[in-house]
Amino acid sequence: MRYALYPGCTVQSEQYEYEMSVREVLPKLGIQLAELDGAGCCGYLSYRVSSPIGWKYLTARNLALAEALSLDILTLCNNCHLSFSRVANDMEKDDELRKTLSEALTIEGLEYNGRTRALHILEVLHDQIGRAKIAEKIEKPLKGLNLAAHPGCYLFRPTDLKRPDNGKEPKKLDELIRTLGAESSDYPEKLECCGSTISRVQEKASLLMAGSKLKAIKEHGFDGLVTICPHCFRIFDGRQLEMQNLFSDDSIELPVFYYTQLLGLSMGIPPEKLGLELNNSPVEGLIERVLKN
Amino acid sequence: MTGKTEDREVEFISLMLQRAVSEMAAEVCEQCGKCASGCPVSRHMEDFNPRRIIAKVALGRIEELLKSEEIWTCTSCMKCKERCPENISPYDVILVLRNMAVRAGLPHPESYDQTIEAVVDNGVTQEPLTVRTRTGERHDRSSLSLNPIDKPQDMEEFKEVLLSIVEAGKPR
Repeated sequence: MRYALYPGCTVQSEQYEYEMSVREVLPKLGIQLAELDGAGCCGYLSYRVSSPIGWKYLTARNLALAEALSLDILTLCNNCHLSFSRVANDMEKDDELRKTLSEALTIEGLEYNGRTRALHILEVLHDQIGRAKIAEKIEKPLKGLNLAAHPGCYLFRPTDLKRPDNGKEPKKLDELIRTLGAESSDYPEKLECCGSTISRVQEKASLLMAGSKLKAIKEHGFDGLVTICPHCFRIFDGRQLEMQNLFSDDSIELPVFYYTQLLGLSMGIPPEKLGLELNNSPVEGLIERVLKN
Repeated sequence: MTGKTEDREVEFISLMLQRAVSEMAAEVCEQCGKCASGCPVSRHMEDFNPRRIIAKVALGRIEELLKSEEIWTCTSCMKCKERCPENISPYDVILVLRNMAVRAGLPHPESYDQTIEAVVDNGVTQEPLTVRTRTGERHDRSSLSLNPIDKPQDMEEFKEVLLSIVEAGKPR
């Protein structure tokens, strides 16, 4: 299986631990990664706010670049994935939109005919590679750990569009965590939004949202939080100190991982190759426990 | 954005307004409050309430909404869209209101303009940053053995096409 890797603006400009761990683990699971030369922003966090057509053009342009390579796109970001799904769907159903975007794409010598689709890494891991094949590669199972899954909103919403996981009861991330030998119990706040999209606009509200969720996860007795979205990770992993100050509660301290980092660790890949020293949250204790297994 | 003429903007805004009210069927909202009771932002901020936003749209208080901070407070989690028994989506209404506010040149968070400018100039929302490890060591893509990022190869052409389609997207 070969995909055009589209890390997305946020991952490739700052969430290096995500990209590093993806590039380490996927080839070892039989996935070849091609570069998407000439790719740009999908528009979701930029033009969608001011110009819907500008946003859709930016997304369609990346789909067209991948179609020229006859490859599907592999996205790491929940926002980018929603953007690709929405625009591919709209172009298929709306002739006028398809015509407008196709004309613009022609200027760069590109075209998009709906042959390429975008998959989120969750789908590639769970549905394409599959849990059985992942299980075969586990050398250091995450025994004795109970990890909270945080899939992030767009992996299962909106339900009027095909999403990587089920809208009523998303469970693929939980299942993938269990495949590594850890527990991943369900918890009432699992589907709650992290608040990161408003962190630059309504900072306090976003920290209250992420902080309450971390507090709840801690109270449920989880050993850590696992996510697969760069925006969720950024607030949960990077801003615990601010949450502690806001809540006047030092106990808001919890190891936060990208799923691909834990997958790599359990496959026996050294922590430094998975960018584990770049996590801001206190992950050392948990890594040591895994390495001893 | 270039070539903005006031008449066209007014026309555009009335079109968006029509859509906001008719397509979103705000008038069938019975104000049951399922959107607000599930909203993760409302739980932490009393002055944000998706039910009230729909009520204002139904009452035609659009201008007030366009100038308010509340349309910029939604996280776009889409929970309200899924919970509404009448298939009204406060999320989509808020997105239309945001589009309208930006197009009308009304105050909106600076971060959106910065992100858009970055995309027009560089093709991406952000150039790769230097990050630190937990022990304070500095790293960038190359020190982590990551290749340079993909970007539009001909930035001039990219910019020209992008700006022309943004312009073409406005009603004439």
